[in-house]
Amino acid sequence: MTDADKKLRDSQMILGLEEEVAPATLPDEGLDLRVAPRKEPQTPGEWIKDNLFSGPVNSIITIALTLFILWFGSKVLHYVFASADWTILKVNFRSYMTGRWPLEELWRVWLGTYAIALLAGLSRGISVIPFVFSRRRLVVLGLVAAAALLVELYVVTTLFTHALVAGLILTIVLGIYLGRRFRDVIPRRAVLIAWIAAYPALILLLRVGGPNERLWSGFMVNLIVATLAIFASFPIGVLLALGRRSTMPAIRYFCVGVIEIIRGAPLYTLLIFGVFVLPLMLPPQISKPPNIVLAVIMITAFSAVYVAEIVRGGLQGIPEGQYEAARALGLPYRKMIRLVILPQALRATIPAMISHFISLFKDTSLLATIAILELLRQARRASAALGFAGRSMEALLPAALLFWIVAFSMARWSQRLEKRLGVGER
Amino acid sequence: MATAVTATKPPPWRDVRVLRVAGQILFLLIVLVVVRELWLNLEFNLRRIGVELGFGFLDRRAGFGITEGIEYSPNDTYREALFVGFVNTLRIAIPGIVAATLIGLFVGVGRLSPNWLLRKLSLVYVEILRNTPVLMVIVILFVGVILPLPPIGGGFSIPNTLYLSNRGMALTTVRPTGGFLPWILFLALAFAAAAFVWRWRTRVNERTGEPHHRVLYAVPAFLAVAVIGAALTGPLRLDVAGLGERGFNYEGGFNLTAQYAAVFLGLVLYTSAFIAEIIRGSIQAVSKGQKEAAEALGLTPFQQLRFVVLPQAMRVAIPPLNSQYLNLTKNSTLGVIIGYADLANVAKTAINQSGGASYQIVLILVGTFLVLSLTISFFMNLLNRAVTRKGAAR
Repeated sequence: MTDADKKLRDSQMILGLEEEVAPATLPDEGLDLRVAPRKEPQTPGEWIKDNLFSGPVNSIITIALTLFILWFGSKVLHYVFASADWTILKVNFRSYMTGRWPLEELWRVWLGTYAIALLAGLSRGISVIPFVFSRRRLVVLGLVAAAALLVELYVVTTLFTHALVAGLILTIVLGIYLGRRFRDVIPRRAVLIAWIAAYPALILLLRVGGPNERLWSGFMVNLIVATLAIFASFPIGVLLALGRRSTMPAIRYFCVGVIEIIRGAPLYTLLIFGVFVLPLMLPPQISKPPNIVLAVIMITAFSAVYVAEIVRGGLQGIPEGQYEAARALGLPYRKMIRLVILPQALRATIPAMISHFISLFKDTSLLATIAILELLRQARRASAALGFAGRSMEALLPAALLFWIVAFSMARWSQRLEKRLGVGER
Repeated sequence: MATAVTATKPPPWRDVRVLRVAGQILFLLIVLVVVRELWLNLEFNLRRIGVELGFGFLDRRAGFGITEGIEYSPNDTYREALFVGFVNTLRIAIPGIVAATLIGLFVGVGRLSPNWLLRKLSLVYVEILRNTPVLMVIVILFVGVILPLPPIGGGFSIPNTLYLSNRGMALTTVRPTGGFLPWILFLALAFAAAAFVWRWRTRVNERTGEPHHRVLYAVPAFLAVAVIGAALTGPLRLDVAGLGERGFNYEGGFNLTAQYAAVFLGLVLYTSAFIAEIIRGSIQAVSKGQKEAAEALGLTPFQQLRFVVLPQAMRVAIPPLNSQYLNLTKNSTLGVIIGYADLANVAKTAINQSGGASYQIVLILVGTFLVLSLTISFFMNLLNRAVTRKGAAR
């Protein structure tokens, strides 16, 4: 890859243009493309002709779609601002987020959120990737912020909660500031370790002295179960992947069997197994664990085999020469894997891993089928309340939007990361 | 001499070959001990709560109703109940795969359209569906689209032909009669006749160069034999749809419940978004020169897509498509959230009803889905081989 290419890629990243960039916008210094005739910049009229009315078929499509968008858009706007009654969201917002978590223990959740916000701000602050304020990005950010503010003002009712939300934003800003300020003092590794340590700390904060697992509910559960499962399944998945490529038949067949059986079964079946069969496999003196614990175990198992397949893909991408070189250096198996093979293999799997994580996060909605009060189930419960007959959509859509926002932003972030890492290019 | 040999041969506890074998034996022993422990616990616990261990429960009376699918009554056995569930799973999976592929193909091509509006709209479609949990999609479609349809009695209907309401759909259809089996023979004959005519036209075309019109000749040939056969055997009868006596349900015809519609639509829309991305990716993987060459040959845009780009894109697309088909099949279990009686839902009811025949039913479930997955993969592999061979021959 030439420098010019790199520059082009950076500029695309900065502009937030994930898609095709017309050759006309290429920087022309040192590029072979110079020989191509340069396009004159298009006038809006030309753009419309090229992109919307380039032929009879195209024109028909454009007109039909415009009509459709106008019709559908007006329906949506009418629904959102006129016919829908969002009281159900206002009344239930806390139960969407934390469900049956007792009010007097809510400080644990807030404290955890603040800690994560500070860490997130810090990591952004010490990161060397500059934040570029392109116009398009500013517009999008402004719109999102305005919408978020509108929702916050509608949903949050007490002054104290308003203050907490404002404090959360300030904490992120503080984190960014601190990170910038002490960029050279804080080692990046320390932040990484803090992230890894934050997770068990958060669970301890919520659990020790706090409400028991049966009261855990709401969106909180989706987030916790998804992260817990991905963290727990990662080492298991790596071991399974290595086992699948082992030269020892007993280990290889065992791993292949485990991976294929779990991968062939739908997650819902695994959850049924977890709820109905797994407790019976425990020694009789142990009482039945709460459903959420069983669910985490099964989702971890489910996730581990997918992680294993992703890691296997990464391992297969490592040329044989790397193994040979490591052996030639006299590295024993464990050192070879840890120092030479895994670092390269795992780097190549980052995008696939993130998209697996996104789908795992979405799959946490399946907990609703085994009577865990996660977001989807909370939304359905809310709409079953007597006062809100016929308001189910108002209960469901915000929940869907919440899932969507998290999944979509992760997907976007992963696309950027993928470009920055240049996976498949090095 | 002998001393030199013993010096280079390490003692057994440091000999790699010995260690490998010992390590594997140890590993297997550990696995065995753990599995045995789990099994003993299971056996003990099941005995304690008084549940039989074998599969004898399959022949007992199930005692619960299933509102969906092939004929079944609560007096039938567990075996039959599970089979009804299995058929319901297939009823979602097979048409679902076809429909999701068609929509996905359409949207995926739309993502690459020269029309800016279509491109962006396809992108919005994909991004909305891809980032929402499929369970949420199913619930929203059920609550927001299917249930608000007018109730039975009202709603859209063509008397004795088609009824649509929030109770589902009823459509007048044809059913096989006793004459159906002999008719299959006629169908085979019709197929043979059509193949013969097809060959004949191909030869005519090769010999004389006049247009072959193979389809124009072969289809009537097929129809002629098939219709004559039908007249002789009477293989089908009309099954007229209509309202039940008290107007609370549909009777006769081909019935789809509201639950089926929601699960089917939800899975199809959700999966089609992923398929669209696969299609887009694999079309983009076809090198640009191919399309330019096709254009230079004077093919129309449709011909370029149909004869040059798609056949090559297929090769890239088949493995990821396979995994989407498997996902769709596995996700059909999510109908449980709105009470669609698929295999997993029936299995869950059966576990509760049978008083705890849990591990047996879970084994049946996992086994069935393994077989389903392997079957789909088998067909996709066949397709894959066909596509790649075609490419290699050219």
